Amino acid sequence: MKIQHPSTIKTIPLEHNLDEKPVVAVDVSSIKIGETEAGMLCAIRGAIVWKEKNRYKYQRIGPFPFHITEQNKKEIHKLFRNNNLEIAEEGRTPNIANIQARMGNLLERWLQLGISCQAYGTIILWDGSMTAGMADSPVDEMSRLLEVARNRLSTVLAFSKSTTLRFSGHKLTDYAGKAEPPCLLHINGFPLDSGPVLLLGNVYVAKLTPGVCSFRLDIDRKIPRERGIEAVQSLLGSDLLIQSYPETLRLAHIYSTFTATEVIGIQRFIAQQYGLKIVTRPNVRRLLFGPFGKGAEGYQ
Amino acid sequence: MRLYKKEGNTLQILSFPDDEVEKGDYLLVEDANVNRKLITQVIDVQFASVPGLLEELLRDSTTEEQIYGENFDPLGVSSHINHIQDARMLICKIRGTMLNDRLRVNSSWLPSRSKSGITKIPFNSLLAHLGGNEGLPINIGETKDDSPLNITAHDLDGRLNIITGKKGTGKSHLSKLLVLGLVDYKATVVVLDLNGEYTGLGLSAKGGGNEYSDRVHVLTPGANFRVSLSKMDLGVMLKILVHALALPGTSTREFKHIWKSLTQQGKFTLQDLGDAIRKCACNMHVRDALFSRYYSLVNSGFFTDDEESATGFEKLFEKTKKDGGALVINLKDVSAVDRQIVLEYTLGNLVKLLGQWKIKSVFLFAEEAHLYLRETYWEDIVTRMRHFGLFTNFVTNQPDTIKENIYRQADSIFLFNFTNERDLETVSKAARVDAETVKSLAQELPPHHCLLIGNAVKDFPVMVKVRALDIKTMGQTRLFFA
Repeated sequence: MKIQHPSTIKTIPLEHNLDEKPVVAVDVSSIKIGETEAGMLCAIRGAIVWKEKNRYKYQRIGPFPFHITEQNKKEIHKLFRNNNLEIAEEGRTPNIANIQARMGNLLERWLQLGISCQAYGTIILWDGSMTAGMADSPVDEMSRLLEVARNRLSTVLAFSKSTTLRFSGHKLTDYAGKAEPPCLLHINGFPLDSGPVLLLGNVYVAKLTPGVCSFRLDIDRKIPRERGIEAVQSLLGSDLLIQSYPETLRLAHIYSTFTATEVIGIQRFIAQQYGLKIVTRPNVRRLLFGPFGKGAEGYQ
Repeated sequence: MRLYKKEGNTLQILSFPDDEVEKGDYLLVEDANVNRKLITQVIDVQFASVPGLLEELLRDSTTEEQIYGENFDPLGVSSHINHIQDARMLICKIRGTMLNDRLRVNSSWLPSRSKSGITKIPFNSLLAHLGGNEGLPINIGETKDDSPLNITAHDLDGRLNIITGKKGTGKSHLSKLLVLGLVDYKATVVVLDLNGEYTGLGLSAKGGGNEYSDRVHVLTPGANFRVSLSKMDLGVMLKILVHALALPGTSTREFKHIWKSLTQQGKFTLQDLGDAIRKCACNMHVRDALFSRYYSLVNSGFFTDDEESATGFEKLFEKTKKDGGALVINLKDVSAVDRQIVLEYTLGNLVKLLGQWKIKSVFLFAEEAHLYLRETYWEDIVTRMRHFGLFTNFVTNQPDTIKENIYRQADSIFLFNFTNERDLETVSKAARVDAETVKSLAQELPPHHCLLIGNAVKDFPVMVKVRALDIKTMGQTRLFFA
C-alpha cells in the first residue's frame, strides 16, 4: 500500500558538514537475573561512547546487581532518585516487576546529566525520545538536562529505534519510505502534549543513509530549528552511519547490553558474594500449553 | 567440577580453569550417599558451550586501534563473567567403579549429578587400589603429577608389546630402557637392531663403560657374528634358502639330498657344498638355482669355514645364562637379503633351542620388523613362539606395517606422539582401549612422553614422561649441515 505524504510533512534534505564535531552517546541496559524466595534479582549497566578523530572510546559503568524485595524496593528507588536527580517523590513506589526498568531509566538520566555537564560543543546522542512527564522522566529534570547541554553549545539528538507515534493513521517512520537520503521529515502540527506527557523535542523522521531503516529523531525544541538541522548535518560528517543509525550510539547499546554469559556470571557473583539462591519457578505457560505456549514466552 | 552428562561410557564434566585438570588426568566421581566412586580419565578438554559467548567475543574482538576504553566495575563482577567464559567441558572415559574401595570394571552405575563430588586422583594412588604384582619394578619415568611410574618385569614376561610413535619421539629410548630393565633382572634379551642404535647400550653417555658393559653383547654379522655349516641344522638352512633366498620346491628337494650326502661324508665346508652342487646330477636349471643361492650365502660373509671364529648359537646364550644380558644383532649396513639370512638363522635357532628347553625364555626386541620379518613370521611370533618362550616387543614408526590382529593381541602398547590420523586409526584397533582415547591423547603427546595402554598399567591408560638413561646415544642421523 502506498503512503501519501500529507501536505503537513516537509522533507528537509541534508548535506554532510565536514567540520568534524565530537560525538558522544549514552545507553543503559537492565536485565532480570532471576528470582529469589524474597524478590527479584536484576542488574543494570550503562555505557558512554565518545567518537573522536576516527577512534571510539568507551566507558562501561557496572554491572550493578540488585536484589529487590518488597522490604527494600522503596529504599532502592529513593537512592536513585535523590542521589542523582532531583526527581520529586511519587505517591507510591513502583512494583517489583517495574522497578528494574525504572532503575535503568534513572541511571540513564544520571549519565545523560553527567555528559551534558561535561561536554562542550558536542553532539550528544540519546537512545530513546525526549518525551517527558513520566515517573522516570519528569518534565523539570528533562528540561534541565537539555538546558545544561544547550548552555554548553552541545546539541542533544535522541534516536528512537521504535516508535509508537502515528500520524494520519500511519506509523511515523513509514513516511520515510520514498524519501531521498540523507534527509529529515518534519511533521507540522504534531501534538506536543498529551495529558501529563510532554514532548520536549521537535519530532522528525531521520533517513540518513540509503536502506530500509529510518528512525524517529527528537531534537531539543528550545534550540533554533536551523541549529538542530546543522547538528544532524554535523553528525553526518562526524560519525559513521549504518542504516541511518549512528555508530557511536550503536556501540553504546552494544557495550551496555547483557549477554547470556554475563547473566550467568552475575548469578554466580550473587550466589558467591551474598549467598542468594535463585529459585526456578514452574513455567505455567509451558505446563498448560506445551509447545503452544512458546509464542507468548517471548513477550515475558 | 560438576557432573554434566553421560553418554555410553563417556562422561562430560564441567570445570573451571582453577581446577587445573589436563588431558590424561584421572578423576574420581564420588557419590557419598551410596559409597561408590566412578574412575574416569580426561581424554579431551573443550570450552563449555556457554550461551551468549559469541556475542561476548564479537564485542571484545575490535582492535585497540579502533575502539578502546575501560570498565568501571567497582563490585568486580567481571571476574565472575570471565570465569564463566573460561568454563571447560572435560570429556572423560569411564575406566571403572569402586565399591567399598574395591575396583570393578563395571560402569553401569550412574552417580548423582547434584550430590557427587569430583576430585583429581594421582595415578599412583589409583595403582595402589588396583594392586597386582609388586615385584621386579622397571621405572619408566614420571607421570603428569611428577610421581615415578613403575611397571614390573612380569608385565613384559610372556607378553606381546608394541612400542610405536612417529620419528624422533623417543621409541628407541624407551625400548633401550626396557631392555636394560629386563637385563637388571637377569633376563636374556635379543635385540634386532636395524640402525645400530643399541650398540652403545654398554657405554655411558661420556663414552666409557657402564654397569651393563659386561652384559651387552653386540653381534655384527660378517664380523664377530659368523656361523659354520657344520653347526647348522638342515631345517634352519632350508628356512634361509626358502624364505630369505626364495629357493623353489624342486631345488629345495635336491638341496636336501646334497646336504644329507655331505652329512654322511662328514664334509661341511662352503667349498664342499659348492663342489657337491657342481657335481650334482640334477637338472641344469636346478643346479643354476642352487648355485645362485650358494653364492648368495658365500657373499653374505655370514658363513665361515673357520670353526675357531664361528659363533655357536647355543654358546651365545651361555654368556647371558648367569647374569642375563642383551644380545644386540647389529643389522646396520647389512643388505636386505643378508639381513633376512641372519634373521632366519637367528629366529630359526632361537625357536629350536627354546623348543628343546636348552635356554630360558627370551625377550625379543624387533625394530621396524616389517623390513626383515617375512609375512608368516608375524603370526608365528605372536602365537606359536610365545608358547616356546619368545616374548616379542615390536618397535615401529609405521604402525600400519603391523597387522591388525597383532594389535588385537598386544598386551601393552607404548604409544608415542602421532599426528597422522591414519596412524592413530591403526593403533586404535588395539583391543585394550577405545579409539577416542588413543586419538585424543596421542596427538598431543610431547616428545619423550608416551601413553601406556594395556596390561602394564592394568588397563588404565597413563601418560608418562620417559626417564633419561646413562648410555651412549647411537644411531643419530648423519646431517649435511651438522
